Amino acid sequence: MQALASDLNVCSKRGLSERFDSTIGRGTVLMPFGGKKQLTPIQAMVNKVSGEKRDTSTVSVMAYGYNPYITEKSPYHGSYLAVVESVCKLICTGASFEDTYLTFQEYFEKPKKCGKRWGKPMAALLGAFKAQMELGIGSIGGKDSMSGSFENIDVPPTLVSFAVTTDHIDSIISNEFKEADNEVVILKPEYDENGLPKAESLIDLFAKVNALIKSGDVVAAYTPTYGGVAEAVMKMCFGNGFGFEYDEKVTNEEIFGYSYGAFVLELSGKCDKAVGTRLGKVTKSCAIKRGEEKICSYNLLETYENKLESVFSCNIETSKEEIPAFEFKASKYASPAVKTAQPQFLIPVFPGTNCEYDSAKAVEYAGAKANIFVINNLTKDGIARSVESFAKLLSESQAVFVPGGFSGGDEPDGSGKFITAFMRNAAIKEGIESLLGARDGLMCGICNGFQALIKLGLVPFGKIIDADDTCPTLTFNTIARHQSRLVRTRIASNMSPWLRNTEVGEIYTVPISHGEGKFLASDALIKELAKNGQIATQYVDMDGKPTYDIHFNPNGSTLAIEGITSPDGRVIGKMGHSERVGAGLYKNVPGEYDIKMFKSAVEYFTK
Amino acid sequence: MVYRIYVEKQKGLDNEARGIKNEIVELLGIKNLKSVRLINRYDAENITEELFETAVNTVFSEPQTDITYKEIDTKGYNVFAVEFLPGQFDQRADSAAQCISLISQGDRPTVKSAKVYMLEGELTEAEVEAIKKYVVNPVEARIATLDKYDTLETKYAYPEDVKTLDGFCEMDEKALGEFLDKLGLAMDIDDLKFCQQYFISEKRDPTFTEIKMIDTYWSDHCRHTTFLTNIDNVTFEDKLLEDAYNEYIATRKALGRTKPVCLMDIATIAVRHLKKAGKLPKLDESEEINACTVKIQVETDGKLEDWLLLFKNETHNHPTEIEPFGGAATCIGGAIRDPLSGRSYVYAAMRVTGAADPTKPLSETLEGKLPQRKIVTTAASGYSSYGNQIGLATGLVDEIYHDGYVAKRMEIGAVIAAAPAENVRRERPEPGDIVILLGGRTGRDGCGGATGSSKSHSLSSLESCGAEVQKGNAPEERKLQRLFRNPEASKLIKRCNDFGAGGVSVAIGELADGLLVELDKVPKKYEGLDGTELAISESQERMAVVVAAEDAEKFCALADSENLESTVVATVTEEPRLVLKHRGKAIVNISREFLNSNGAEKHIDITLS
Repeated sequence: MQALASDLNVCSKRGLSERFDSTIGRGTVLMPFGGKKQLTPIQAMVNKVSGEKRDTSTVSVMAYGYNPYITEKSPYHGSYLAVVESVCKLICTGASFEDTYLTFQEYFEKPKKCGKRWGKPMAALLGAFKAQMELGIGSIGGKDSMSGSFENIDVPPTLVSFAVTTDHIDSIISNEFKEADNEVVILKPEYDENGLPKAESLIDLFAKVNALIKSGDVVAAYTPTYGGVAEAVMKMCFGNGFGFEYDEKVTNEEIFGYSYGAFVLELSGKCDKAVGTRLGKVTKSCAIKRGEEKICSYNLLETYENKLESVFSCNIETSKEEIPAFEFKASKYASPAVKTAQPQFLIPVFPGTNCEYDSAKAVEYAGAKANIFVINNLTKDGIARSVESFAKLLSESQAVFVPGGFSGGDEPDGSGKFITAFMRNAAIKEGIESLLGARDGLMCGICNGFQALIKLGLVPFGKIIDADDTCPTLTFNTIARHQSRLVRTRIASNMSPWLRNTEVGEIYTVPISHGEGKFLASDALIKELAKNGQIATQYVDMDGKPTYDIHFNPNGSTLAIEGITSPDGRVIGKMGHSERVGAGLYKNVPGEYDIKMFKSAVEYFTK
Repeated sequence: MVYRIYVEKQKGLDNEARGIKNEIVELLGIKNLKSVRLINRYDAENITEELFETAVNTVFSEPQTDITYKEIDTKGYNVFAVEFLPGQFDQRADSAAQCISLISQGDRPTVKSAKVYMLEGELTEAEVEAIKKYVVNPVEARIATLDKYDTLETKYAYPEDVKTLDGFCEMDEKALGEFLDKLGLAMDIDDLKFCQQYFISEKRDPTFTEIKMIDTYWSDHCRHTTFLTNIDNVTFEDKLLEDAYNEYIATRKALGRTKPVCLMDIATIAVRHLKKAGKLPKLDESEEINACTVKIQVETDGKLEDWLLLFKNETHNHPTEIEPFGGAATCIGGAIRDPLSGRSYVYAAMRVTGAADPTKPLSETLEGKLPQRKIVTTAASGYSSYGNQIGLATGLVDEIYHDGYVAKRMEIGAVIAAAPAENVRRERPEPGDIVILLGGRTGRDGCGGATGSSKSHSLSSLESCGAEVQKGNAPEERKLQRLFRNPEASKLIKRCNDFGAGGVSVAIGELADGLLVELDKVPKKYEGLDGTELAISESQERMAVVVAAEDAEKFCALADSENLESTVVATVTEEPRLVLKHRGKAIVNISREFLNSNGAEKHIDITLS
């Protein structure tokens, strides 16, 4: 088991994966890593089909299949199984087999003029041809690259199959074990004399698994791939920190051998059907065992995560220092002098802004009107026009929402400079002062927006100032790369109108995705902010305690501070993407997601 | 006047410098290196002193985290500076210039950035050289001067007119062979002879541009020449494979296919069969080939609507192997542009890559190769940087390890996109329709990407801008995403093509059978590009769209509202010929039929073992 956990093709790729933004678009149904510990890697990518103004409840599901060690032995078998693997991954995520489409990526050595070398792509294509004919699904696109040679070294024959389908969001399930004592079974197709699954039996199996998922009898499903059943069970355990007890009848060959086309299913406690062959049961204890043989799953996890830590780090050492949990319960809330039936939120778009669609949706779903405004800087005339139009829109708006993204690509070497350069323009600056001062308006900045607000001084000072070296800021994450995952944030103060539907001490799970989210401020300033209730939220661990632990505090923020506000709370800046929250998202990570920020902001103007 | 400022992160915030120091100590084994200081150097011209001073604390640096210097004291350090090769996109300098013009509401100044490395410790000359070699990838960067600049202006020679290759039609086989080598063409001698036949029939010698363009058109990258090679004979050493092959032949027969057997046919026959059997009812087919397209129904607020789902996979193996950051970034950038050119919004990506063991010590790296560790980390950084900036959810990232990938990395981007069916109009362009270029400008960095950086004499003589690899500019591509998501704009587009490979000549050339392209109108990153370069240089973040003449103005206005540059560069013509005009002369004038022939037929015998 230890050897398997540290196999390069099994071990954790979390340090690699978490530098990719996985939640933008407010459509991510399954996080790349599931379970409350976010450790079980998903087998298929599931996203809501992206609508411009409204969320949809139709999802696209995509998965790949390929094993170079089988394909180098026999390109025919490898390619056949690549198709099978890619489709099985869709099925175990809850999609039905109907309307599945494929696209292939071929990558081979330079064939030169050698008939044998040409034979490899040909055999691979014949294997894929057979799989398509027998399963009745087609590869409707694809791309080939035939130059994988360097001197006398060749890439392994490569045919990666991508399978794609769509389904309803309610059909989707995730693959981490859900509950201790649940029974786990394996379902296998019949195999032919060449060791390939028989297509007919496989198609029957797809229907059977799909029905079991639909009926709620199956609560987690995984199709064994490179590392067989052993890998499947191990990874299913990690997400929620469970152990596993194999049935004593299960052999080593069954655990460690290939089982392409098979499904490992965790049955609901309520399932009373006889399904498949018993594999074992989920256990509360952190051990994977069979009879007397036993291995601690924590040790296994360490091996699994350490293998690539030196290349793609994700578990860096952080300070163990205790952090106080700030508490500031508001007794009264700011209120505008004049109420507005439908407030207007102005959302500026700079080159590199990328959260404006999500932000506008969040605002409109909360009942406000969102105005997206694209700044034009193609020419100096374009800039002048933009400044003028923006200032006018500003005077007609009740709130400004500076969305996330990478304005100017976070260059030159630091985030938000593009936005601050624009906002420091005299006409805009005046407009913002009037919005906040004379008209009791609101402002929020999330992620890149927060970076801009803090660098302008709008948080925590409530006004645009010239920054000096005593000002707080947001800078590069301690881990020195982009981080994308879900984090838990605790409400430290509900003084802001943006947070008035929350209680101090409540914990909200929220997606983060940033490279520069480390909050820096002097002790004296933090004391002052805490006293005024300007520290809105803190990153906390599973016990609700603020922490520097990299698994919970993704950037190393001082005192785990995630969001702060202006003195009167009307301007808020936070790193967590509260706008990326919607129905049915993040199914594989339990938590309370809705911080009701936008609802609160709308109510500030309407109620 | 050129103003200069040095910017360094405060102690404790200098993650990048410490990271590099650790890499040098651990990976290069240079134990005497005590510390590394990393300083960003900015030079700016066409700017007032006052504006420059304002920019120091608001654009170039941030007082909370940075220290700035007018001069650096290099005593006690080994010092060198690194800059991008001329012509390479430098996002840092570009953003700085844009920020400054936002502040001043004036013209963009010229900004140049470099990174200064200050090494502390008793280092030998060889060690300093090793460090330089480690941090400078010569395909994108070079050692910069430490001196001050008098000016940042680049002088460009006025490019010569495109030459006609006099005597080409009279060349014998030997002369053609020499010609092939001299130009470093990707086509083979049969293709060249085929070209000669064509130009003999046209009764004229070709221009240099025509030969380069045809070479690009027929390259494997654009035209799958390997996959289209005729398979004449197959020998079997395995029963299973023979049975499968026979089934393939039988399927062909049943479909009545008479085209030659080739890998492409084997790859596509199942779909032909399934389509005929009515098993792919949702497949959406059109003359336009952008990406896999399926008709789906999408539920919004409880209502079902007709949508198109598009998906596409793409590799960028060679560029990523030699310049992992730019190669991987443009991998995802290119993958996005296919469904995007189909007017759909790309919202999610999957990344599957192949590498050799990255945990092996650096000393095992093959001569002439970058270390696997460097490739896997830098490529991840490039791909994620692009994907994160453009804003698509990369929901599944996996890397497959196999020793064979040391030959060449595998870098796959797969993306998924969708659009309401009513937003996508697909029509055959008609004479009089207009072709509009959108987005990025043409530079020399995109020359010959499709044919494998085949450098000719005339190109290499122009040294001023010689970068061989392209950098991605995600914010630019995002503007295209926004524009195409707007139904007002997308419904004006009859057909669209991206600039994945082959530049103007291929991207525009594929839009319609008859085209007249005015190369002088193509926007350039800098002066000094000749007609051939304008015709074949690829560029990232660029699209060509066909609209009706009466819609052109409206379309350009919509592009402007997305902060996107648009230029009318071509018209659709009656006669099926591709004509490219430069300085009033047609430097390309080729029949569609000849271009589409894909060159001379290729043949192979295959052994299946």
